[in-house]
Amino acid sequence: MAEEYPQKWGMVIDLDVCTGCNACVTACSMENNVSFIGEDENAYGRGMQWMRVQRYWEGEYPDVAPTRQPMLCQQCGHAPCEPVCPVFASLHSEEEHINVQVYNRCIGTRYCANNCPYIARVFNWFDYDLPSPLNFYLNPDVTVRRRSVMEKCTFCVQRIKHGEAAARAEGREVADGEIVPACAQACPTEAIIFGDLTDPESRVSKLTRSQRGFYQYEELGTAPAVVYLKGGGEYGG
Amino acid sequence: MTKKLSRRDFLKLTGVSAAAAAVLTGCGPASRYVTRRPYQDMPEYNQTGASTYFATTCMECPAGCGLILRTQEGRAIKAEGNPNHPLNRGKICPRGLTAVQGLYNPDRVQFPTRQGRGENSPQKLDWDTATALVAQSLKEAPTQAAFLLGAAPHHLADLADEMAAALGAPAPVVYSAYGWLNGMATLREATSQAFDTTRMPYFDLSAADVVVSFGSDFLEGGLSPLAYSRMFGEMRRNTRVRRAKLVVIEPRMSVTGGAADLWLPAAPGSEWLVALALGGRVAELHGKAAPGPFNTVSIGQASAASGLAEEKLEELAVLLAQAQTPVVIPGGSVLAGASGVASAQAALLLNDLLGAAGSQFWLSPVEQPAYSMKAVQELIARMNAGQVQTLFIHGVNPLFDLPAAFGFAEALQKVGTVISFASFPDETALASDLILPDHTPLESFGYQRVLAGSAGEVLSGAQPVVVPLHDTRASLDVLLAAARLFGGSVAAALPYTDEFDFIQQKLLPYQDARQGSITAPEILTFQSIFQQKGGWWNVAAPEIPEARISANLAGAVERAAAPEGKFYLHLIQTQMGDGRGANRPWLQETPDPMTTVMWNSWVEIHPETAHDLGIKDDDVVLIQSETGQVEASVYLYPAIRKDTVAIPFGQGHTALGRYAQGRGCNPAELLSAGLNPAGDLAYADTLVTIRPTGKTRQLARLESRVGVYGGGH
Repeated sequence: MAEEYPQKWGMVIDLDVCTGCNACVTACSMENNVSFIGEDENAYGRGMQWMRVQRYWEGEYPDVAPTRQPMLCQQCGHAPCEPVCPVFASLHSEEEHINVQVYNRCIGTRYCANNCPYIARVFNWFDYDLPSPLNFYLNPDVTVRRRSVMEKCTFCVQRIKHGEAAARAEGREVADGEIVPACAQACPTEAIIFGDLTDPESRVSKLTRSQRGFYQYEELGTAPAVVYLKGGGEYGG
Repeated sequence: MTKKLSRRDFLKLTGVSAAAAAVLTGCGPASRYVTRRPYQDMPEYNQTGASTYFATTCMECPAGCGLILRTQEGRAIKAEGNPNHPLNRGKICPRGLTAVQGLYNPDRVQFPTRQGRGENSPQKLDWDTATALVAQSLKEAPTQAAFLLGAAPHHLADLADEMAAALGAPAPVVYSAYGWLNGMATLREATSQAFDTTRMPYFDLSAADVVVSFGSDFLEGGLSPLAYSRMFGEMRRNTRVRRAKLVVIEPRMSVTGGAADLWLPAAPGSEWLVALALGGRVAELHGKAAPGPFNTVSIGQASAASGLAEEKLEELAVLLAQAQTPVVIPGGSVLAGASGVASAQAALLLNDLLGAAGSQFWLSPVEQPAYSMKAVQELIARMNAGQVQTLFIHGVNPLFDLPAAFGFAEALQKVGTVISFASFPDETALASDLILPDHTPLESFGYQRVLAGSAGEVLSGAQPVVVPLHDTRASLDVLLAAARLFGGSVAAALPYTDEFDFIQQKLLPYQDARQGSITAPEILTFQSIFQQKGGWWNVAAPEIPEARISANLAGAVERAAAPEGKFYLHLIQTQMGDGRGANRPWLQETPDPMTTVMWNSWVEIHPETAHDLGIKDDDVVLIQSETGQVEASVYLYPAIRKDTVAIPFGQGHTALGRYAQGRGCNPAELLSAGLNPAGDLAYADTLVTIRPTGKTRQLARLESRVGVYGGGH
């Protein structure tokens, strides 16, 4: 089964189109049963968002402007989080080429978060209260995590699995654009594009070849599966 | 009729196959009468372990975007955008995404209650008693009934219109904080003066190469954030033309300003001068004579009035003159001042001068609603005069989202019976006599006419995606039941069996017209498809506006500079919308796009201004206006005019449940009751003072404090 669909899932984020609206953040959280933790815990920097939009100010008033970068797990090919885990909770999936986190192996050493240059991993410092009936909306396809477990973006692996199963049942290959993670699905400006990098004709593959493309911290050799497209300037026409 | 039809027959009748139903299920009329059942006896469309998807309409703001709700085992799991809906085409914003946290909110009003105006002894009622109480109050003085409604949903507003007419009572008053924050009455007045029409302007960004916004935060606030965000994406990806440029003119950088290539913080109130000067200069660069008012203002004069550098204005004029497909969008706080009408008019006319009319600038077939805060003030005057016996409140929270200076709280004391239809214990509901909770939107039938963001006509349809969770009842049904108890001509004027029947009657003209996205031989099929697809739309070609270029810019005044020690107040539209988003925990926890603050209010001050006042990040300051005062932590914001401070709207609830209550401050306390000539709140003219309190309260933010303006700890 593992070799049946040897996909390498990847993502392109077009920073020229991103408005920084944070719809991806909310969409991710609602899809993946991410806990909300309240004001005080957030002030301590313990926010559980798997995705964040980094906003930096550049320039001086009145020529000031924010630059934005949605940041999430880069699903590295050479992931710094993987070799440091003593219990193999952080490991590589050969099938989807993503970094998976096995919640029921995780013992909460937090070595992986310490080693992630993208600060893409978040830790459950507590069990967070979800008063009834708010638990009614929990996604049955995604594990609800407990205290002392590390978690992070999965590229919505549950959607990948559903999409592959649906295609297999119909005896066909997964079509380009058929599988989208929650962030890409929500993105109002379509700044986030998701797809199979092994297919050179997929929309995401074509975009990775853009002249505006770059990897975050490419010099670290992490081989990310997320390509950013630089914003601003002049192009086209 | 519909009651006797089984669901199976209905499906056969309408030809919806099981396969189609698995993709998108249209709730048939029979499902109206489905009750909640245990897991072992689930509705027939349910397949354990598989999801069922329902199309409906988002009612978190009045825009009317299409949603697809993923449900499983009778529970609403996730809201997604409806890919076929012409407004949002599958896209969704944080407000829509958290709709399920409204449905499953632990603080909902779960049954009809005799509230007794804030007394601490709410009493549970049954629906028959509650309806009888409504009818009894109506009988006391039928002509003294009043309806105060929000901008959504429209089907209820339509019934309220009919009911008020039948009772002989004044027409319902509709307002919304979305309306006055975006200057909707002002836009209507400006369109009518400049183009002699009250049709809704439609700005098509998708093929534009230069977009200039006069105050419109169309990506985050605005009248249809998703439609305009989608078009913005299309515009930036459009490789047929050179990379499109976005220019935003506003006093405080919004999300739209943050995405701009050129951001111009013009002095508020001077925008109409900037528009006129730009038009004149563009005509000059084209070698033509500037028409009408555009020949009255020079770039130099506009620069002096707005505080913008002449080179910047010249750069913008050249950009516009070279543009093939430019478009100018007025909106937001620019419309909410004394010269708002003039600014909106100048911006709209600039479209005509630039040749955008008929290519990027259209008139949609939809009439702009005549929302006006004047009507709200007149209602308050009627209440004060003791002329309101029964007041129905739905979809708005006037004790929160009206300026305290309107005196709504005092006027409420003089009303005979106050009936709130709120789903949540908000400020106004707690001050009511009766709370007759409506279903939340995800449990409701309904429709919403799309105003902005679509070139064609869109009637977005809503249907329940789950059976109602609590002992709530559709407000429309409550009103119909009360009308029946009232009897006589009122009952005769409202001959609808229930809400579903009412919607069916209102769909008849659409079915008869045989136009647009649904054609069906009879109404049941039409309604079934209407629900299955999430609405009806007709993308007929919109109308090309014809300018009355000679229009005079009546009411145009230059606003005085803020006096020493005072600042102009700017209100920020956030994901909290008109305040109803504050009880959705994930909206609270989603960082604000510009400041990254979560779970609280803040006041934005320019770092230099703050330095002069001796204020640092996270210092709590007292913000005082002539009418009120609030406290908030300071956020040093580098992209705001030095004479302006900004506070987000939507926090500062004293009620609305555990996630909203006692969090942040409500800037409505600071606003005066002053209106601009079009009838919008002139909130942009509010002057405030800032005083340190000596306290410090750290804001929870995503961004690091280290290295921000020399801060850090």
